[in-house]
Amino acid sequence: MELDAFRSSLDAWLDQHEDVLTPDRSAVETLDGQMSHLSKVKLHTYDAGWMRWGWPERVGGLGGSTLLRAYLGEALTFRNLVEPGIYSMTEVLAPTMIDYARPELAAVMVPRLLRGDETWCQGFSEPGTGSNLAALSCRATRSGDAWRVSGQKVWTSLAQYAQRCVLLARSGSPESAHKGITALFVDMDSPGIDVRPIETVHGAPEFSEVFFDDVAVPVDRTLGEEGQGWSVAMDLLPFERSTALWHRAAYLYRRLQRLLEIVHPDSLDPSAVGEVTQLLAALRARSRATQHRLAAGQHLGPETSIDKVLVATAEQAVFDLVADGLGPEVTIGDDPDSDRWRREFLYSRAASIYGGTAEIQRNIIARRLLDLGSGQ
Amino acid sequence: MDDDDRTLLEVSLKHACQSSSGAALDRALEDLGWHEALSVDPSVAVSSLFELQGRANASSSALDAVVRSALGLKSRPSSGTVLPALGRWQAPGHLADGDLLLRGVGTASLVDGTTAMVVTSSGGAGHLALEVTTADLTLRSAPGLDPRLGLVEVSGGHVAVTGRYDLAPGQWPRAVALAHLAIGHELVGASRAMLELARGHALERIQFGQPIATFQAVRHRLADTLIAIEASDAALGSAWDEGSPQAAAMAKALAGRSARTAVRHCQQVLAGIGFTTEHDFHHYLRRVMVLDELFGTARALTTRLGNHLLATRQLPPLPPL
Repeated sequence: MELDAFRSSLDAWLDQHEDVLTPDRSAVETLDGQMSHLSKVKLHTYDAGWMRWGWPERVGGLGGSTLLRAYLGEALTFRNLVEPGIYSMTEVLAPTMIDYARPELAAVMVPRLLRGDETWCQGFSEPGTGSNLAALSCRATRSGDAWRVSGQKVWTSLAQYAQRCVLLARSGSPESAHKGITALFVDMDSPGIDVRPIETVHGAPEFSEVFFDDVAVPVDRTLGEEGQGWSVAMDLLPFERSTALWHRAAYLYRRLQRLLEIVHPDSLDPSAVGEVTQLLAALRARSRATQHRLAAGQHLGPETSIDKVLVATAEQAVFDLVADGLGPEVTIGDDPDSDRWRREFLYSRAASIYGGTAEIQRNIIARRLLDLGSGQ
Repeated sequence: MDDDDRTLLEVSLKHACQSSSGAALDRALEDLGWHEALSVDPSVAVSSLFELQGRANASSSALDAVVRSALGLKSRPSSGTVLPALGRWQAPGHLADGDLLLRGVGTASLVDGTTAMVVTSSGGAGHLALEVTTADLTLRSAPGLDPRLGLVEVSGGHVAVTGRYDLAPGQWPRAVALAHLAIGHELVGASRAMLELARGHALERIQFGQPIATFQAVRHRLADTLIAIEASDAALGSAWDEGSPQAAAMAKALAGRSARTAVRHCQQVLAGIGFTTEHDFHHYLRRVMVLDELFGTARALTTRLGNHLLATRQLPPLPPL
């Protein structure tokens, strides 16, 4: 299906099904509500076929350009039907499964993610390993037909909801750095896994600590080859910095539009409003070009770090403007709308931290795009 | 224009911008058929030339041709074009009771021509393009911050009109939009050149026994410069696709702000040598400051946009995927 045809028929379908897809209050206010509403939207859009476009047929998709799923996420986000962060996890984890899992495993598992039957999480960060991913220490030891995994992950988004985890573990010696990492697809109900949600400043326990105590993972759940985990991670990160950001830009546009509709004009500096709008336009233009490169089959690499810096900058600028324009609401408002602005403002502070900090993105840009050498 | 034609045009434009400037570059543009390219495929002709001109720190009268093409007027060597005064995007001429007053700037072609074209507001929203005799205008050479640019300041009162062309509604805003895009690309080109100079210096300059490019403070300044440039470049590309004056003004503002960011970071990385005239950096610093003024500064365009958004409470439409 072509993008234009997809766009108009999807828009018509969404108009028709707006009632059933629109979240009620509880599906906006709590993370539990958001998650169950997300599953509902994914199920409806999967059954109607929309969610399957842009994914290969061998994992239950209907084929077609990746632009189709970029537009689906944009439309759902822009219409306020899903929260962009939790929706876009699919864009990060499904391509990894398609590229690195055994074909039979991907064929069984990916449809469950697309249909909203399951939630998956991404076990990368550790207490001692944030930006320095290659230093991770969660151990995976081969024992017959299984890996035995022991260690700890942290800041694992949605782990408490997840049925599966794409996990990076150290299979080589402690000194093996990025060469000794293996990626595994782990069932979260395996004996020995303990998930403890973390209270965050924005009030939603969005991420968790995950403890692994001698957890058995079948060897056929290895993603890629033993020792190839670093490549899996490096190929995953550009997805985190492409289609997911396109969806996020649509969300930021919607929230800025909402701010303009309700703010008292005197409470905002016109030049700040103009500048934030320009930042969003630049983000959208940059991300659009990235979507088209992805659709043309080009390999996404370190240049997506520019997209990531732009989205973090734009998100914080939008919600700084919210804090300026809706000061009383953000600080002491007690109605649901104020509460939402407050949560979003607080969550925006993380935009330059998660998925590789703003500093790490700049390091990547300096080394890989500007070719400045390895640095200190 | 197909890919082969485009590559050929870019190769000859690159050679022209690197080897000539001013009147010589204007002649080279005539010879290599840039004006034909401008009428066939404005986005390729404008984006290629102005980015290369910005990179090479060259100057030309091409901006006149860009404005005239949007107005549907031919470019002629004997006729110059009055551009809006620095900091302004409004038409440079004003007609009141049949009396033409004008204030603006011009490129070298204004000095060399015998006649000049001045777009004039005529009450209401309408615009006219008026032809005047150059000898009737007051021209002041304006070397100022950037003598290489060859800009002149022009003014006139009670100027006799020798020719008159009615402009369709929206034609002047389209000319301003095309000028915004052209200057935006020139700012991006200049910014890329500054980044290249600073990058080269960072890799060569040894302090504390190592290239300063190894220091994170230096690396992050250069990374921020690249981020700003790529954001502006993407916005320019999107503005061509959209074709609206608002998108072009946003892209010009982004490019102006990015160029100022590039100046700040690159000059700091270049440090002492970047403060001397023996290094090329200062030519770009000078050019960028004047280009930001041409057809409205980043600051003024941004404030105008913000006021408009607060009044209408409506963001610009989202360009489709």
